[in-house]
Amino acid sequence: MKKLFWLLVAVLVMSTALAQQTRLRVFVGGQQRPDVMRKILDIYQQRNPGVRVEIEVGGATSDQQQQYLTTVLASRDPSIDVILIDVIRPAQYLASRWADTLDKYLPAASRQNLLRQYLPAYSQANVINGQLVALPAFADAMFLYYRADLLEKYNFKPPTTWDEVIQQAQTILQRENNPNLNGIGYIGAPIEGTVCTFLLPIWAAGGDVTNAQGQFSLTVEQAQRSLQFWVSLMDRRVSPPNMAEKPQDTIRQEMQAGRWIFGTLFAYAWNRFQNDPDSQVKGKIGVVPLPAFPGGRQASCLGGWQWAVSDFSRNKAQAHRLVRFLSSPEVSKILAIDASNLPVFPSLYRDADILRVNPWFAQALPVVQAARARPQHPRYAEISEAIRVNTNQVLARQKTPEQGARDIVNRLQAIYSGR
Amino acid sequence: MIQPKYRRSFGDLSERALAFWLLLPAALLLGAVALYPVARLIYTSLFQRRLTDETGSNPVFVGFANFAQALSDERFWTALWNTLLIVLVTVPGALVVGLLLALLANLPFRVKWPVRLGLLLPWALPLVFAGLIFRWFFDSQYGVVNDVIVRLGGERLLWVTTPELLFWAVCISIIWKSSSFVALILLAGLQVIPKELYESASVDGANRWQSFWRITLPLLTPAILVAAIFRTITAFQTFDIPFAMQNGGSSFETLAMYVRTMSIENLNFGYGSALAVLMFLISLAVTLIYLRYVRGADD
Repeated sequence: MKKLFWLLVAVLVMSTALAQQTRLRVFVGGQQRPDVMRKILDIYQQRNPGVRVEIEVGGATSDQQQQYLTTVLASRDPSIDVILIDVIRPAQYLASRWADTLDKYLPAASRQNLLRQYLPAYSQANVINGQLVALPAFADAMFLYYRADLLEKYNFKPPTTWDEVIQQAQTILQRENNPNLNGIGYIGAPIEGTVCTFLLPIWAAGGDVTNAQGQFSLTVEQAQRSLQFWVSLMDRRVSPPNMAEKPQDTIRQEMQAGRWIFGTLFAYAWNRFQNDPDSQVKGKIGVVPLPAFPGGRQASCLGGWQWAVSDFSRNKAQAHRLVRFLSSPEVSKILAIDASNLPVFPSLYRDADILRVNPWFAQALPVVQAARARPQHPRYAEISEAIRVNTNQVLARQKTPEQGARDIVNRLQAIYSGR
Repeated sequence: MIQPKYRRSFGDLSERALAFWLLLPAALLLGAVALYPVARLIYTSLFQRRLTDETGSNPVFVGFANFAQALSDERFWTALWNTLLIVLVTVPGALVVGLLLALLANLPFRVKWPVRLGLLLPWALPLVFAGLIFRWFFDSQYGVVNDVIVRLGGERLLWVTTPELLFWAVCISIIWKSSSFVALILLAGLQVIPKELYESASVDGANRWQSFWRITLPLLTPAILVAAIFRTITAFQTFDIPFAMQNGGSSFETLAMYVRTMSIENLNFGYGSALAVLMFLISLAVTLIYLRYVRGADD
């Protein structure tokens, strides 16, 4: 009888515990190391026994993930609570009312305090019209990767200007005389990364899509000069004639197979070069900030990923607590060590544990600090399409740089004036 | 005469009522997955609705303004023209190649399954896979097509990024992918043609070419029409292969690709729906024309 009593008590306790348990679902992309995310979420579950967090993985690229999420969110599906979104998307998420803004959980003073700890670019990217849309997960920026072994062979120092890159590539290509070796790789396929390719020379020359007041300010001359620069790399034969075919990960794969001297890629490439079993360039790759453009300064393109709470979640308060944990220095450190993701906290760039795994992070902080953000606009998808498709057509020699520049500026002008 | 008596098992339903209740589940299902979405699409096409501004939650009724915009949209006409070109090239292309394949498979091989399996494989492959495979074939640096061209002494061509070349690359991929489906239908048609016809034709002194033109082709016409209808409708919806071959880019864009970009990417649901309705109307018109043909052939 006594046994039965205790059994009943146990069943009762367990069932109330189960009933109280909150289930959260987190969406991350396939390239964002779901294995490391799982490890982080396990830590959260241990500390919060009442919460179970599931991971949903989808889409290999930012565009593919967003296509899936658009279907989920446009149908107001409550199944996903927390979403990892690209740095270009907060404005659209706010305009579409897909994100539950985080302000109501944060008094103004503590919001100020919290945002001050992050790299300024990310506090800015996540605050749209004064509302906090998301919190930063990890940073990213474009770097110049180079074949350290080849540069050493010809007594070259890592380049700091594009003129040096071009000259070094010319010499190495000529002397190596290897038909499988390409010179300078940059993203040219009609994908999101090509927007960065287009904007880099414009930023370096002091221009941008909008001015400080957020008004459209890009000129045809600026756009034309940028397109002309990338085309000239093919004209001078330091880049192969098919750059319009190259998405970022193709260049990364080819560089990993030893087929490029230089590549402009985001930070994720480092880990793949060093750790992938099929990498032919282990220990042969160096990485430096992107070189200065002719007559201009250095510039890099800001990437990075943010945690947003879905407005259709049924557990917003719990989801918000999880997001605060996921955007904490503790998690940023785990992501840096286990996934080589650049931290969103400046202090972590001097962290001994992180530098042991990623020695080049020591140089990365100024690059991330100086990296420029792509335009923030609710209709960013259309801005992106106008830029990447026209840039791609110029690189494919279907349009002259002048015509491409004119088409980009006209289309962007229309979008910014609400047409 | 005494009517045979049989028990009515479904209570006291008349035959009509019974039919109604038996058909109801199917009709409901069809309504939910086919009629409702189409009706909803037409409804949305009459509104300005962009998820990127306030019309996302409060659509504004604009009547036929979206359709008027489409008719003056250069990109719509380009996409429509591209789609028409694909139909004009790939439908006859797939019919010719499919017919040849069907005739080949109909030859009296001792072991039939390898030929039939070869016929089925392209058809069983998802369209995106076909697009990705052909993207590699036509890759300017590593592709087999350029490799052959270079070995024959030619210049490397930028297939994927030159719209005129891409068009032919896309057509070749679509014909490869779809001719096996055509061949399957035609093979079924070939097998019901009575052998005696060929025998008596050869007794009368007809050669193989004559019996092909006078017997095979006329008797195969219904099957060819069926294949042509299906192929035309799917050709109007061409999306996967050009999309996959261009890395999702849009320098060569079909109507279905434009609809996707407008709605799924740009989140302009109102205008995107109007484009989709136009695409639907075109498909409907083509189907009706073909159906008249088929009835004519039956009479």
